[in-house]
Amino acid sequence: MEVTKEIAEQYLLQMYQIRVFEEQAEKSYMAGKIHGTMHLSIGQEASAVGSVSALGPKDLILSTHRGHGHCIAKGADLKLMMAEFYGKANGYCRGRGGSMHIADVASGNLGANGVVGGGIPMAVGVGLGLKMQNEGKILLSFFGDGAASTGAFHESMTLSVLYQVPVVYVCENNQYAMSFPSNKWTTSEGLASFAACYGMPGKSVDGNDLLAVLEATEEAVEHVRNGNGPALVVCDTYRWRGHSKSDRNRYRSQEEIDAWKEKDPIERFKNHMIEKKTLTIDDIEKIKAQADADIENARLFAESSPDPDVSTLEEGVYAPW
Amino acid sequence: MVREITYLEAVREAMTQEMERDPKVFLIGEDVGLYGGAFQVSYGMLEKFGPERIVDTPITELGIAGAATGAALVGMRPIAEIMFMDFTTLASEQLVNQAAKLRFMFGGRATDPMVLRTPAGSGTGAAEHHSQSFENWFVHVPGLKVVMPTTPYDVKGLLIESIRDDNPVVFIEHKLLYKSKGPVPEEMYTIPLGKADVKRAGRDLTIVATGVMVQRSLAAADQLAQEGIDIEIVDPRTLRPLDTETIIASVKKTGKVLIVHEAVKTGGFGGELAAVIAESEAFGYLEAPILRLAGKEVPIPYNRNLEYHAVPQVENIIEKARELAQLKV
Amino acid sequence: MAIEVIMPKVDMDQETGTVVEWCKNPGEQVKTGEIILVIETDKVAVDVESPGTGILEGVSAKPGEVIPIGTVIAYLLAEGEALPQGAAPTPKVESSLPTPPQEISTGQVVTPVAKNMAAAHGIDLNAIAPSGKGQKITKADVAAQLAKESAPVVAGKIYAAPAARRVARENQVDLAALQGSGPQGRIQSNDVFASLEQQDHQTQLQVVAPIVEPEIIPLIGMRRTIAERMTANYQNVPHIKFTSRVIMSGITEARNTLNAVAEKSGAQKISVTALLVKQIATTLRRHPYLNSSLKGDEILLHQDINIGVAVALENGLIVPVVKNADKKGLAEIAAEVNDLAARARAGKLVNADVKGGTFTISNLGPFGIEQFDAIINAPEAAILAIGATQLEAIPDESGQIVARPIMRMTLSADHRIVDGAVAARFVAELKTVLENPILMVY
Repeated sequence: MEVTKEIAEQYLLQMYQIRVFEEQAEKSYMAGKIHGTMHLSIGQEASAVGSVSALGPKDLILSTHRGHGHCIAKGADLKLMMAEFYGKANGYCRGRGGSMHIADVASGNLGANGVVGGGIPMAVGVGLGLKMQNEGKILLSFFGDGAASTGAFHESMTLSVLYQVPVVYVCENNQYAMSFPSNKWTTSEGLASFAACYGMPGKSVDGNDLLAVLEATEEAVEHVRNGNGPALVVCDTYRWRGHSKSDRNRYRSQEEIDAWKEKDPIERFKNHMIEKKTLTIDDIEKIKAQADADIENARLFAESSPDPDVSTLEEGVYAPW
Repeated sequence: MVREITYLEAVREAMTQEMERDPKVFLIGEDVGLYGGAFQVSYGMLEKFGPERIVDTPITELGIAGAATGAALVGMRPIAEIMFMDFTTLASEQLVNQAAKLRFMFGGRATDPMVLRTPAGSGTGAAEHHSQSFENWFVHVPGLKVVMPTTPYDVKGLLIESIRDDNPVVFIEHKLLYKSKGPVPEEMYTIPLGKADVKRAGRDLTIVATGVMVQRSLAAADQLAQEGIDIEIVDPRTLRPLDTETIIASVKKTGKVLIVHEAVKTGGFGGELAAVIAESEAFGYLEAPILRLAGKEVPIPYNRNLEYHAVPQVENIIEKARELAQLKV
Repeated sequence: MAIEVIMPKVDMDQETGTVVEWCKNPGEQVKTGEIILVIETDKVAVDVESPGTGILEGVSAKPGEVIPIGTVIAYLLAEGEALPQGAAPTPKVESSLPTPPQEISTGQVVTPVAKNMAAAHGIDLNAIAPSGKGQKITKADVAAQLAKESAPVVAGKIYAAPAARRVARENQVDLAALQGSGPQGRIQSNDVFASLEQQDHQTQLQVVAPIVEPEIIPLIGMRRTIAERMTANYQNVPHIKFTSRVIMSGITEARNTLNAVAEKSGAQKISVTALLVKQIATTLRRHPYLNSSLKGDEILLHQDINIGVAVALENGLIVPVVKNADKKGLAEIAAEVNDLAARARAGKLVNADVKGGTFTISNLGPFGIEQFDAIINAPEAAILAIGATQLEAIPDESGQIVARPIMRMTLSADHRIVDGAVAARFVAELKTVLENPILMVY
């Protein structure tokens, strides 16, 4: 797959933004500036950027608890996103949702989710609505290998095919449902083969290869946009960090983590672009510096933003707000 | 001197000792094995009992609840762990429609001795999907017992009793109490379900509190004692069956009652408590309205300060209790 | 321009003051600095000087009334000047007038939820004072207003607590005849009990009558303070008490010697109280717990030894303090005690005279009281009650019965901070020092 310099720069910038954003969030968390917990997707950047890049600007996404990458790939404002991590009044969710519930409904991100598999049944409904509205929009619904074991997934696949909804399901198989290894019950190929069971196309790809993800998702998007019903893409990938900030990594070895770090999706894309002479080392350094500056601006914005007013606590539960 | 251990260690010790005593007991849930449980409650138990009895599952709450319900039906005594109480919404079909009703709808010829353990409550910054208190959803279901321990001592005695009980028991732990310490005897003991505990004796006012609100009410009572307000604190410990006798006796003594819980006020357990008191002979001893102090009518927000104000804190309890004790209401 | 006369704040922790008497009458001309009234705080009576020159008018506080500080209680007017509008009546502590609704400017911010709620309940937003940040009217403000506006009392119905209804039913009391002491006039069980007691009392009166009505003295000012403090100290501080008998021969002899010298030099005489103050202060230096206070979770061991000397007044009691008594000479203490007692009786003590005590003595010997015990003057840790010195027959060292001047003293100590043995050691040492005054210089 060939990409232009401009497009390559955009993909690399987004992957760097995701990584630097999460590294900064982690730093702020450790400095006690962000509370609660967060689920980092460092190591999975290609899966997010590659799949979302196959969408048009009016298309929608539904995300997961590990959704920072999806959010940035969909073009989120990094400042508002960081402000939400800091729980600030001008964050995406006015400080009410935090890392696990980031949404930007206006720009087509229908939200991350604190419940594993919580987004998939909604995806059916979103698809149904889009189909009824018939404006050519489609939905990309993310979930993980963990969600694939829930009843919600299987009920939703049945309905998706039954109603022929315009939804691309992207399963990010990062190998562990918290500590539970998915290879104890399935594989990436196994996850993709669920599609055939329900009667839709399904494919598994190397999720750390941005262009492979992009190609597979574009194929699925085309299928869906042509009114042929849903499709499934499984991205085989790995999270470098623990499940959440309280993970002690007892269930996997350092060797395994190191081996996956060798397959760093950013390094792979960078090297590929240098090889292809699409980007120079100088270009790449500039892009990295741009990402660093963007995240630093976001941090400064978040830290200087106001906290929500406690007197508004009970507002916003019911419409109208 | 009785040894002191944490609330969390008391949960683990109760499960461990009961598993050593009774081969029919096993633990099933997400990440309960190698990971040691999301809150490290079962840490080390896999090494002791092996994967046959410390059963790790994928993400499948309904599956966990169903596996426990079914295994109990054929004579096992499963302990199911649901990682956050928020996720009992996913498990509740098996729990509410199946486990709770098996005995009754089979004419008393089936027994379903399972325990579903789950941590509830806010205060950790985990926001809307990891902070809820649903105890009253289960209190509403005949056939379930609902236990809510607040001290390490109560945890051990009540959990062993719950495992031995022949009915499905929802055993609600509180995340913020996991690290609290208290005296716990090393030997096994049980505390009967349906027996409240007067955590503090007093004359002027009764506080009936559940979960972490028991500790907050105790702190409030200590401060109010300096103002000469003498508060009695009743911890029901078991919400279903409820020890109405202890609560009614306390209200008859003080004539004033404040109910404190973390769950949202509307439809919360406080309403049930207030009704129990109002329907009893304690009614004629009331000097003031029965008051409830409970969670605000909102999901638990992420922002630390909003989260803090979404549920009762010590200062709110002090203010409300003082108002009631001084008959300002 | 009318000059306001306000209830002044004369003490750091003062919130109210009681009018004792007006020294000037309405209509009378007063000058700046003239005493126009006397007020009383919970500690002392204070003369209030006129803040200006003019004719005293619009006096709104009567003797005995408790007034919040800063409240206007009268005006000084120029000749022919009228009282300012709305000058009287002045709000008292017991009554609070509703504040008039304030015009809300167009810039007033109201949250949408608050706005909807107010509209739904027909509440005037202008009547609400905002509590939210940035002067925003929030849902809570509207809810508070709603609660205020909904009166619980319905005509023809009785507003009573369930407990009051039960007690009334059991004792056949008509609730309609009772005044409620609870919020918004709710009848409480205590109101019913009180009416029952009153009935009993009236029944008794009918049997024993006729009877002379008792004279009623309002519990105000110093009397009220004494009543509140004594009750609090008696209820909250666990007292332990130790009585010891002191042979006063030595101290009497010492006093005679000292006074003989004083008489020759024309100096002031040394009273027994002064001697006691000195001896006690010296002894306290070695018993820090008797010179301490319990404050919250901490025991404060005071470095200064300030001895309060209880002085009986016609209408109460006051305890002026001899500061740093352990460091002062006898003559100095004697002069100070005399001065304090004289000023106490004349009502001329200032705040500083009655503050900072760390230990109190109360001497009822002059009344011939042999022995008594006293209530601790919290937060002090102890009080010493001194009885009369009287000749008694006691056995001497050889067993012979002899007459000796005996004084009985009783220490009351706060048992939370002073153990029995600690108190006993202090009493024993004090007895030794008093019986052997020479030890004073040791």
